[in-house]
Amino acid sequence: MSSSVQIAATPLMDRLIARTVRMRSPLSVHFDLTYRCNERCVHCYLDHQDHGELTTQECTEILEQLAKAGTLFLTFSGGEIFLRKDLEQLLAVARRLQFDISLKTNALLVTRERAEMLQRHSVRRVQISVYSSEAAIHDAITKVPGSLERSLAAVPLLRERGIQVKLACPLMKQNLMAYRGVMALAERIGVPYVLDLTITPMMDGTHSPLEHRVSVEALLPVLQDSALQSCGTKIVPEDGFAPAVLGSGVSSGIESSAYDDLPCSAGHNSCYISPYGDVFACVQLPMPAGNLRTQRYGRIWEDAPALERIRNVRESQLPVCSKCEIRSYCERCPGLAWMEGGDLLGAYERACTLAEQKARLAGVAAPVSAWRKELSVKSGVRTGDAPSGSEQRPVVN
Amino acid sequence: MNAAAIGIWRKNPALAWREIENETVIISPDESVMHELNDTGSMVWRSIDGRRNAEALAALLVEQYEVTKEIALADTVALLDELTSRKLLVPVEAGERSAPR
Repeated sequence: MSSSVQIAATPLMDRLIARTVRMRSPLSVHFDLTYRCNERCVHCYLDHQDHGELTTQECTEILEQLAKAGTLFLTFSGGEIFLRKDLEQLLAVARRLQFDISLKTNALLVTRERAEMLQRHSVRRVQISVYSSEAAIHDAITKVPGSLERSLAAVPLLRERGIQVKLACPLMKQNLMAYRGVMALAERIGVPYVLDLTITPMMDGTHSPLEHRVSVEALLPVLQDSALQSCGTKIVPEDGFAPAVLGSGVSSGIESSAYDDLPCSAGHNSCYISPYGDVFACVQLPMPAGNLRTQRYGRIWEDAPALERIRNVRESQLPVCSKCEIRSYCERCPGLAWMEGGDLLGAYERACTLAEQKARLAGVAAPVSAWRKELSVKSGVRTGDAPSGSEQRPVVN
Repeated sequence: MNAAAIGIWRKNPALAWREIENETVIISPDESVMHELNDTGSMVWRSIDGRRNAEALAALLVEQYEVTKEIALADTVALLDELTSRKLLVPVEAGERSAPR
């Protein structure tokens, strides 16, 4: 969210990012092993039906191709990964291929035996989704009674085995003010956390999850909360893997000067693979680049026109956003620009309104985004201080 | 002679690592710490296979770089010491060893 709470990469990580961006090497891959899930979170962007997941053999071959391509950071996610009966086999393959392994899970199925299995395969970090410290709020979002208790029961099982745990808390209408409780919970049990303000459309483009998204105006108390800044520096470890306190659930949250004029890492040194073998630059940018059932990973990564299109985006050349005077307050996501505004290079209202609010909070007088100025010119309305989010006529929210 | 000079080592199987442009990045999951080796360090790392001892590894450096056998051995032993102290290498027990190269 706020660049002020992003954690800068260590020099070593910064160098690694710079080299892999320059070499166009897929340093980091997010691999969803399944979209099936044992929770039914109200805001979820996935279709939980199994439409023909990759087999164990197919996943193994993909992992071998990724290792060959230079991928180091591998995140297995879903859906719920523990619903894959072959998870241990795939972790064994990932271990053999010397990946740095992280998992994202709701942890409902983490038992002592499974925690031991993760330790055996040297899983470095497990991110667990927690929506509130109050069971009533959390369980209402997951639609699984008792889910908070079960998710939290996994934390000591993992930590006792040397596995790092991080809590991830997407914020939406149902749990917005629960973030303080999640912060306190994370501090009490001594784990880092990330609050994620991003609620995305479904991968097929359906906007239904956005009905749960908080308006920008309602986010103000969160954006203004100084406790977020101080907690971030208190509990986040000072190493190259340090996450942002406010950030995206799909990105590392690591800022690096190596990205310079690039919107983000997507397609430059990171990508996403679906349970059906589709390759995207990012899970939030589901523009198909190719399918691993019919093409080799290296071929897709090197030659796919969709990836090339994304790689050619430079923030300084965006038609509207490059002219924006409050760019430094903006966290425009190219994926959301594409999914919400239909234009990879375009501005989208949510990012512009958030940037205006953040600029206003930082003391900028009457901040107006370039997008709103253009809108005003087109509609003949004089440009002035932008009204707050709830006074807008939103495109999608 | 220290342990690095006389022992045989293998990479810690828990590690994540990749060689990128002749430099090696290694991550130990226990501490979430990232380590980096330069090109000569990377060459030694690549050649650590649970069979070569320090002398055999140093011989590879002599072949590749214009360096005397004595300097290559001293550098190799120092590197093995460092890698061992960071738990990036683990000793190959006598029972596990096959014939050294």
